[in-house]
Amino acid sequence: MQGGVPGNDMKSWLNWKEMNQERIVLLIAILIFIVASFTLPGFFTPDNIVAIVRSVSVLGILALGMAIVVIGRGIDLSAVAIMAMSVAWYLQLLNDGMADGAAFLLVISGVLAIGLLNGFLVAYAEVPAIFVTLASGSFVFGYVRSQLIAQDAVPVPLGHWMQLFGGVRYFDIPVEVFIFAALAFLIFLFLRYTKWGRYVYFAGDNPVSARNAGMPVRPMLVLRYVISALIAFIAGLLTAASLHSINTRVVNSTLLYDIVLVAVIGGIGLSGGKGGVRNVLFGAALIGIMLNAMTIIDIPLIYQSLIKSSILLAAIIIDGFLNPRDEQTAQQGDI
Amino acid sequence: METIVRLEGVTKAYRGVPAVKNVTFDLRKGEIHALLGENGAGKSTLTKVIAGVVEATSGTMIHHGREVSYKTPNEALEAGIAMVFQETSLVPSMTVAQNLYLGAEKFLNRLRGTYISAQQFLQSLNFPVDPTAMVETLGAAKKQMVEIARAVHHNAEIIIFDEPTATLTPEEKRHFFALVRRLKARGVSIVFISHALEEALMISDRITILRDGELVASGETREFDREKIIAAMVGRTLSAELYRQRDEAKLRKPGHKVLSVQDISMSNIVRNNSFSIFEGQITGVFGLIGSGRTETFKVVAGIYKRDFNRGGTIELDDKPVRYYVPREAVKDGIVYVTEDRKSEGFFETMSIAENIFGGLLAAGHEKAWVINAAEMRALSAEWTKMLNIRAINDNARVVELSGGNQQKVVIGKGLVQRPRVVIFDEPTRGVDVGAIAEIHQIINRLADEGLAVVVISSYLPEIMNLSDRILVCRQGRIVEEFSPAEATEEKIMYAAVH
Repeated sequence: MQGGVPGNDMKSWLNWKEMNQERIVLLIAILIFIVASFTLPGFFTPDNIVAIVRSVSVLGILALGMAIVVIGRGIDLSAVAIMAMSVAWYLQLLNDGMADGAAFLLVISGVLAIGLLNGFLVAYAEVPAIFVTLASGSFVFGYVRSQLIAQDAVPVPLGHWMQLFGGVRYFDIPVEVFIFAALAFLIFLFLRYTKWGRYVYFAGDNPVSARNAGMPVRPMLVLRYVISALIAFIAGLLTAASLHSINTRVVNSTLLYDIVLVAVIGGIGLSGGKGGVRNVLFGAALIGIMLNAMTIIDIPLIYQSLIKSSILLAAIIIDGFLNPRDEQTAQQGDI
Repeated sequence: METIVRLEGVTKAYRGVPAVKNVTFDLRKGEIHALLGENGAGKSTLTKVIAGVVEATSGTMIHHGREVSYKTPNEALEAGIAMVFQETSLVPSMTVAQNLYLGAEKFLNRLRGTYISAQQFLQSLNFPVDPTAMVETLGAAKKQMVEIARAVHHNAEIIIFDEPTATLTPEEKRHFFALVRRLKARGVSIVFISHALEEALMISDRITILRDGELVASGETREFDREKIIAAMVGRTLSAELYRQRDEAKLRKPGHKVLSVQDISMSNIVRNNSFSIFEGQITGVFGLIGSGRTETFKVVAGIYKRDFNRGGTIELDDKPVRYYVPREAVKDGIVYVTEDRKSEGFFETMSIAENIFGGLLAAGHEKAWVINAAEMRALSAEWTKMLNIRAINDNARVVELSGGNQQKVVIGKGLVQRPRVVIFDEPTRGVDVGAIAEIHQIINRLADEGLAVVVISSYLPEIMNLSDRILVCRQGRIVEEFSPAEATEEKIMYAAVH
């Protein structure tokens, strides 16, 4: 449906004319995986593969939230700030001795409020999403860091459920992988099979048409930013669970850039209306395999950034080349 | 006289559908050449090939004895070919002077200098336009003047006018013709596309007539008269059937008064407009561009908000309504089918099925929360059959369809919402002749089924042929009502411009 894939057999998958960014990314990911398996010692081992999946889980969860917003023709630059600061505040409240339930309720209301504020400003005040979320992200970081928490890193209190949760494993696979899979499946169902999920695509494809057809464009826009904020909160909880603390310096890292990278490289067009959960999975697979391989080869971080950005550019250019904007169709209205 | 441009066997196809077929056309130096034909005959496409707006699929173009192929309008302009478009290509938020020099600015650009030279230039053409005025504040005629001035300023030796007189008042038309004659005296060759046969006969030296993309007649103007042109233009029964005078006895009688609009206003575009819409008949609304016809009905459909104070009243079934978003109007059964399907009609990356299903979802008739793909496909199959939408395959994106099929998708997307009032805005713009007939059938069928149908059009024959009553809009309000049995094109046009 949303991908517009005419046939599912392998033949049409490999058909050059049917190539799109999503498939190229998957092929490159598979290629790197095969090459790395043969050439890099310790790459193709169960432990390392679990490590790859684990490393992309949090990134992938954040990219799912970003995907929903981007498909609807927006962008959420406050995701990382919400992720780190909401959990830091939550842990701070616990460390200060507040009851778990009350602290959780307080924090989740804060997360909802920021999501609602983002959505309201974009939908009703009609401020461009990039400015709204950039500002709200800075605000969240600055306010929480200066007013609500004491240091950069806040530890998980001893014996708290998050600490235990972080160590849970099924079949030697860490719990965040299952949570990523479950969220991916839920969002897949939401986007593909629910009315509100379909509205995301309609509004992303053409917001004016959607409005004229009688779709609730603005309320749906608010909903998307709220979902994105909630997903960021979940990602933050998982990060704290596995690291036993949350370091708010992550807000100033390249994590936000990596989230956009995963979404965009998988083929979710920034122009909206295109892509789905599958694109996030493929994008996350490519980034995860690549980062892992680069770490094994021991490429310095600054070079890793260079490589990541080059790949992003290449993916966008190749997609533009394979799916060109058709000028003739643009003019077709006035024969 | 020497031939300046010659097209040989030019064909232009949009996605395999030819808009111009194997046309051979020549333009001589210093002549006024009228290009005539019905809507969709390929006049605009042919001239766009000359002006480098579109590239010919096959055939050659010879300019000054050399074979050329202009790939962009700019290239053609450099070579001395300018086109003045039907819908103006001016930048609304810039001043007249800035538009005049658009793309030809000096590296160091002084605003005052621009104004002074623009003033002198406009005066030399005898155009009463203020060079410091914003283009968006100008009327249609003045915009046209700026367009023409721009073409002349580029020292074009060929100027193509696409329907230049459609939006002009008779007075403005006289000025325009005088200007065209002056250009001709300066040795400029002019291609003049028009619907108005009298104008073509009066001003042109030669006439070329296209029908369905093919050249059917070409020659000196004195060899033609009105009957001969019409015979060449129409040339087949389909068009004769498409556009003919309505018979008094066949007009549909007004049913229940579904909409009653009193004194609605929206800024200064819609002014104290009042009218009623009845079930079971087609209300045709004619008006020139900028007459507020579209805006009036967008207010009715909730797309635009009418003024809060003294905005007038709209009554649906005698109950006052005020819509803040189109969603409320759609729920009340008022559906607007847009004139600009690409930017506000369909969802271009989606399939026909998704577009039509989108309409259903939005109307709230689909109660289920879970999307059923099989149901969507069945719905789409039903509507594609009913509206005769043709696509290469079921997964084709709407943007890949022809204009006529795109329009049918937009219509289907509206009709699936089970409206009581359907407003069609320019339902056949950019649609091929065959699809026009089909769309007219659909519209007639809706009225026969008892819906209240509104057809807004700036193409008079369409209004004359479809409507059971004709409303004429001018300067933001309905100024006159005609019965199609007694109306003539002249009477309607007179009401629309005076």
